[in-house]
Amino acid sequence: MTTVERKDDFNVRRRHLQKLSDKQLHVRFWALVDALVQPLVVEARTHTTPSIERSVLLRMGFSSVEAKALVERAQELELLGRGVGRLVLELAKAKRITVPDAGALLLDGHHWDELTP
Amino acid sequence: MKLTIDQKLDIREVLQDLDQYRPRRRGWHWRTRLAEHRLGPFVYRDAASELANSVPLPSAHAFADIDPQCACVITTEIASGRFEDDLRRMRMAAWHGADHIMVIRTTGQSHIDGLIEGTPEGIGGIPVTRKQLRATRKALDAIEDEVGRPINFHSYVSGLAGPEMAVLFAEEGVNGAHQDPQYNVLYRDVNIHRSFVDAAEAKRVLSDAGLLQLDGAHNANATAKQAWKVTPELFVQHAINTAFSRAVGMPAGQIALSTVPPTAPPAPKLRLDLPYAVALRELFDGYRFRAQQNTRYIEADTREATVTHVLDTLLSRLTSADVQSTITPDEGRNIPWHYNNIAGVETARQTFMGLDGLDELIELKRDGPLGMQARELKERAVLFLEEILENGGYYAAVNAGQFVDSGYFPERKGDGIVRAPNAGDGAETVVARSAGYGAPVCSHFGNNIFARTSDKPCADYGGCTLCDPGKIRYIDELDPHDNVDARLAVPLAERDAGLLRPEVEQHGDGIVCVTLFVPAQPHAAEAAALAMAKRMGLDSPEVISRHVMHPAEGSVFEVKGVLDVAIPSADLSIAAREEPLSDAEIEAWVRPRHIGLVAATVGEDEHSVGLREILDIKHGGIERYGFQCHYLGTSVELERLLDVAVQTGSQAILISTIITHGDVHMRNMRGLSKLVKERGLRERLVLIAGGTQVNHELASECGLDAGFGRGSTGRDVASVIVRTLQSKQAMNDG
Repeated sequence: MTTVERKDDFNVRRRHLQKLSDKQLHVRFWALVDALVQPLVVEARTHTTPSIERSVLLRMGFSSVEAKALVERAQELELLGRGVGRLVLELAKAKRITVPDAGALLLDGHHWDELTP
Repeated sequence: MKLTIDQKLDIREVLQDLDQYRPRRRGWHWRTRLAEHRLGPFVYRDAASELANSVPLPSAHAFADIDPQCACVITTEIASGRFEDDLRRMRMAAWHGADHIMVIRTTGQSHIDGLIEGTPEGIGGIPVTRKQLRATRKALDAIEDEVGRPINFHSYVSGLAGPEMAVLFAEEGVNGAHQDPQYNVLYRDVNIHRSFVDAAEAKRVLSDAGLLQLDGAHNANATAKQAWKVTPELFVQHAINTAFSRAVGMPAGQIALSTVPPTAPPAPKLRLDLPYAVALRELFDGYRFRAQQNTRYIEADTREATVTHVLDTLLSRLTSADVQSTITPDEGRNIPWHYNNIAGVETARQTFMGLDGLDELIELKRDGPLGMQARELKERAVLFLEEILENGGYYAAVNAGQFVDSGYFPERKGDGIVRAPNAGDGAETVVARSAGYGAPVCSHFGNNIFARTSDKPCADYGGCTLCDPGKIRYIDELDPHDNVDARLAVPLAERDAGLLRPEVEQHGDGIVCVTLFVPAQPHAAEAAALAMAKRMGLDSPEVISRHVMHPAEGSVFEVKGVLDVAIPSADLSIAAREEPLSDAEIEAWVRPRHIGLVAATVGEDEHSVGLREILDIKHGGIERYGFQCHYLGTSVELERLLDVAVQTGSQAILISTIITHGDVHMRNMRGLSKLVKERGLRERLVLIAGGTQVNHELASECGLDAGFGRGSTGRDVASVIVRTLQSKQAMNDG
């Protein structure tokens, strides 16, 4: 879908801006930008993605190859919304093993059914 | 790892023990501007410290070889496809003043949903991997030690693996990154939700790691049909990325706007580009500016590109630039050749040094067309924002094709880029975080149960990789065939064997470029140019630049081709060459001693030009050092030279001997030596000959102190006179 063409009606549209000082115009510019960005920030705060989850696992000491496999499996099981890093850490705590060991067990296909959905 | 100036960078040493390598420094480095910097004969207003090792601008020889450095960071973009070749290019660029090395990623990396490992070869850039980052950062550590200035290493955090790439950059000491979710959406068709959710996480990681973030707004210049009309939207694109970054927690000082002057001559460039540049800096006061040079219109002509880039750099100086990015002048015709990276850097440096202190000389006329146009641009940008919100917000506006429309907003042409919210790469992969969502790591953005305690989020398991880099997992290679070791087998064997090939891009690629003028109509001339290149022995010749001088009189071409020749360096006879003394050294020794010399063209020989050029002050000859020159003219007898030398108490005789029939030049040189000895003056006089067929070996053989052929300068001759007199004096003293 593309929008229709429109002639340059700047002189008509700008009327409400004409009287603003440069400083007021700057304030208006940034207020509009902040309003525009705000819902994008809210979405980012409340959602996650496979890449975010892999980046968490990288930070927890997994290799990129391991992180990819763990996140793919978690995606299949619809577990991404819990945070894959949290699931691995919780498994490690429950089994009293290290985070890398918990990851290795999951990579071998064990304990997925025990993870909180 | 330590570099030696006269040794090539050892790629084997770079690749050794990379699993153990840790970056020694984090975050971005700015140059320090020196208030009043005295250097050689000048005082600079906008300079930073010099380098420990560098190659000065070409004209520096006339100014005591000074090598002043501008106060802003200078970028060069590197994209050969092989990182092992890029490292040598980086070293050369650093010596010429670049301290921001931007590595372009291989085509398609944006669309890979995950990280790449190892060192596969890329196209139009390199696959950014941990190994490649480590090798590059390790080499840059050594290069920055060699030049004595920190070097910023930079690449891209875009595409489907943004958060992972950001973590990788933070872990591996990368200093700067492009990160702009709009770039993904508009130019890479990555799903809009995915792009922004990923971007928040990536930005948070980059922010905490101190990287400088560049946005992607400048790409609209390259995409829009009429780049100067997309300017109102550029303010909006810059602002969206800036405000989104601030909302995620990134400090203003780490946010840089990537901005390009949108036009090039014959457009009235300054009149169009300056109001835009001024308005941008006013609206975004407090943020950093990365001024990029224009690439949009460059095709084959490197001279034309250079002129545009000089004007771009002038715009930077007339407004501001924290980082001046350079474009290689050959970018329009091929993947940039390494020596053209240096050409681009030198264009910016030369312009900046020439414009030093500009603020003291001129100011912009804000009250006039400049101010009016700047104001109009800002108002158009505000109208653009109002329409986005009226359309239902950012996603709806992108879906309605509001971005990269070629109309001058509010004019619309209806040809904008349209991206539906549920389409694109990675669509349907964004998942809502549950109430118990957790990510037990540092630098994480958004809702997270582990962020609620006062402890670090990673405290439960002893720290994440950002706190304990020892936990980082290094993968060396995944592909046994496509890797750096396989690629290096032939080049390193040739290097070890001392074989030399010409190159422009990758080690020993054999590519050469020849310039030919062919006096015919364009099509015939081009066909002839290619045929000539083939006759020169070039494989796969290709015309990379054509420029009509006149439709009938002829055209000039640059033709590239492969010269499949490997020269064994051991077979080369390289004459030992002593560097001449500097101008200052020569003058300091000569002037107080009143050194006299007698000069003439000898025998029956009326040539005078060569000798006059060596002598005359007007031609940069040796008179300027304070020698007292007695020039006797042409066809002068040897005896007369000696008589005058005795009369004037001169210490040197210069003869020019051009004619060579019957080896008359040899007879003249031998005759001079014999005569001087007969008169018992050999100890007192320095004897020098010059001529087209004269060289040092021949002159020495004939009993003279030195001989000079084509291409010699007054400085070469003066230097030999001074050194010979100094050694005579030392012998007498001894």
